[in-house]
Amino acid sequence: MIKKAMKPAILGLAVSICFFTARSRESFPRFEEPILITSAGQSADVQIGNVLAKRAGLTATLSKNATQKELGDKKTLILVIGVSMKGLGAAGLDLDQEKSRVSALIDEAKNKGIALLCLHLGGEARRGDLSDRMIQTFLPEAHMVIVVKSGNTDGLFTRICEDKNIPLCEVDRTADVQKPLEDIFSRD
Amino acid sequence: MNRKPHSARDFFLFAFSLPLLLFLFSCQHRVLEIPGPAGDHHHPHNYTGKKGMVVAAHPRAVEAGLDTLKRGGNAVDAAIATAFALNAAEPFASGIGGGGFMVIYLAGEDRITVINFREKAPARAHADMFSENGKIQEAWKKSHGLAVAVPGSLAGWAYALEKYGTWKMTDAAKPGIRIAEQGFPVSETFSRINKDEYEKILQNGGESSAYLNDGFPYEPGDIYRNPDLAKTFARLVSRGWRDFYEGEIAREIVRAVERHGGIMSLEDLALYSPVEQPPLEGTYKDYTVYTIRPPGSGGLHIIQLLNIIANWPVKEWGFNSPRYVHQLSEAFRFVFADRARYLGDPDFNHVPVKELLSRDYAKRIVDSILPGQCRGNYPFGIFDKNQIAKENTTHLCVADSQGNIVSLTQSINDFFGSGIVPEGDGFLLNNEMADFSSQPHSVNSPGPNKRPVSSMGPLILFKKDRPFLVLGSPGGTRIFTSLTQIIINILEFGMSLDEAIEAPRFFTYSSEGVAKSLFVESRISPRILRSLDKMGHILEVREAFDTYFGGAQAIMIDREKNQLIGGADSRRDGSGAGY
Repeated sequence: MIKKAMKPAILGLAVSICFFTARSRESFPRFEEPILITSAGQSADVQIGNVLAKRAGLTATLSKNATQKELGDKKTLILVIGVSMKGLGAAGLDLDQEKSRVSALIDEAKNKGIALLCLHLGGEARRGDLSDRMIQTFLPEAHMVIVVKSGNTDGLFTRICEDKNIPLCEVDRTADVQKPLEDIFSRD
Repeated sequence: MNRKPHSARDFFLFAFSLPLLLFLFSCQHRVLEIPGPAGDHHHPHNYTGKKGMVVAAHPRAVEAGLDTLKRGGNAVDAAIATAFALNAAEPFASGIGGGGFMVIYLAGEDRITVINFREKAPARAHADMFSENGKIQEAWKKSHGLAVAVPGSLAGWAYALEKYGTWKMTDAAKPGIRIAEQGFPVSETFSRINKDEYEKILQNGGESSAYLNDGFPYEPGDIYRNPDLAKTFARLVSRGWRDFYEGEIAREIVRAVERHGGIMSLEDLALYSPVEQPPLEGTYKDYTVYTIRPPGSGGLHIIQLLNIIANWPVKEWGFNSPRYVHQLSEAFRFVFADRARYLGDPDFNHVPVKELLSRDYAKRIVDSILPGQCRGNYPFGIFDKNQIAKENTTHLCVADSQGNIVSLTQSINDFFGSGIVPEGDGFLLNNEMADFSSQPHSVNSPGPNKRPVSSMGPLILFKKDRPFLVLGSPGGTRIFTSLTQIIINILEFGMSLDEAIEAPRFFTYSSEGVAKSLFVESRISPRILRSLDKMGHILEVREAFDTYFGGAQAIMIDREKNQLIGGADSRRDGSGAGY
């Protein structure tokens, strides 16, 4: 049984968590469906992004090698950043070709007023010279960034987001990305 | 000191300040300190022992092997216990759904033998099986049922135990069962590979796959358990290993392969048997290499490369000097041309082993290499460039107190194999059919019951008449180039065992007569890279310690100090232990 003296404390805690959640949601931009999900670097993280979007109940199309044409009537472009040499090889691309593809896609998204959400899901394992080049090139274009904490231990995402005034949400684990996705795309 | 009881005011403060702190720290910009360099697990470390030594790609597997030795098992018993344990602890690289080769030195008989338990193509395989309407379907070689070859690991392990071991499989499997049941913390390596192969695992196993954590890849530090695999091992122990080839597990394998469009039959499984062969032999100065025969290409190419290097004053040139890297790179390109032209299953094609290993032939290659310039125009056959990207496979070495030695390399081909898991069995089926060439006219094209060419090269190096070095590595086509570099690091550049393993590596190959990029670890200095660039090499710089270049394990026998020295590659989770 809850002691009488503790009841107000628990109530206060509940209220403050709601306040915290509300503030967090308000501080982030709102995104709209339908969504196009693509990779920047051809790592399998893009598949993780797709599963997360599905679990968040979002209407999304996955296209690892998306071109401008596929933006169609989309309202949000989700870019899952992370370079895999193996993935690039399988797609028959080198890093420069991949950068050109993604640049063209982002330019077209800007022209059409499509919002850009960047995800980095691979943690520390998906950092390194090649992935960092992608991050530094494309992150400044984002309207919001969600990163799994272990990928930001050196503060690279924090610094870029601070410089460009981009809202940054850091989560502990890959599965935790689902919640902010639900929040920023929520229809209420 | 007395502590005050918590008051309601404390709870209010806590209740309002915690979310505020969370708010400030979780979703706002922060200035974080850049951490210093991570703990240097790459620093060379030699394990030592007097009586016995095990080195393998996971510490839990090493424990399994060492425990076997301490409890009186011989090197073969310990190798098989380690192999079972690796299936549980490093499931993405090898297991009962795959195959491999082992080189065994039997001290009592002073004899070396090889057990070839390489997978075989199903009887319905044919040269055009990866083509549809004249177009090669590379995806079928990766994660499709057609990619699965008839597994040989369990039959090979059983053969070795029954003929050269002292333990029953019941005992050898126990550590593997324990690891699969109890689990272990996932390493950075496991997590990274799990993420890299996520698409394939998801495609073939869905979000409930035994190799995903609630539908997502495992993060470092997560506990990985595989109760399905533990049950499968227990079934094999209680019903006998033939259940895998003729019983309920065989039926589950065939169902899984067929469900994914494959052609393996129950008969294919029932007819599988490993082959015992004499080793392939070559010499380098005072040393003799004993290794595997084709269809394993690694051993043959290591001997070929050593024959070439024997013509050069490499010690004078210096470790990873521009000249050394250039000359050896050119040698790699010639050897890859030979691999494409001649290497296939010797049961079906003539492989000119004697000619390839002759010193005259090595001299002809040496004379064709231009100092300071890429030659190009390497004699070529049909080479499948898609075989280059693999990292995969695993290697273990065991030495026991009687002087017996095992050098064992095994694989399920790509990391996480085909991604296909027979329903509820917890083990991965290989995609070893991808080691066949997609080109129907290749000497290594698929065919009924053929074994695909492998790059594996487990070996035992003798100094004069006694075992000196036990060595092997995963790494796809980098296996034999990396092992050659390690051997030369020890024999010519005077490195200690683990220094030789950790030293920066390079790799290149040729395809259809054309020199391909020279891949180098980033620790090779820019000055050397500039020199290589001037010679015409197209350079691709990889990570400082890149799994692309393999993950070698080795044991050195130091007779003067009466000591066993173990070296395990930090590019993966290599570990060792002696007693």
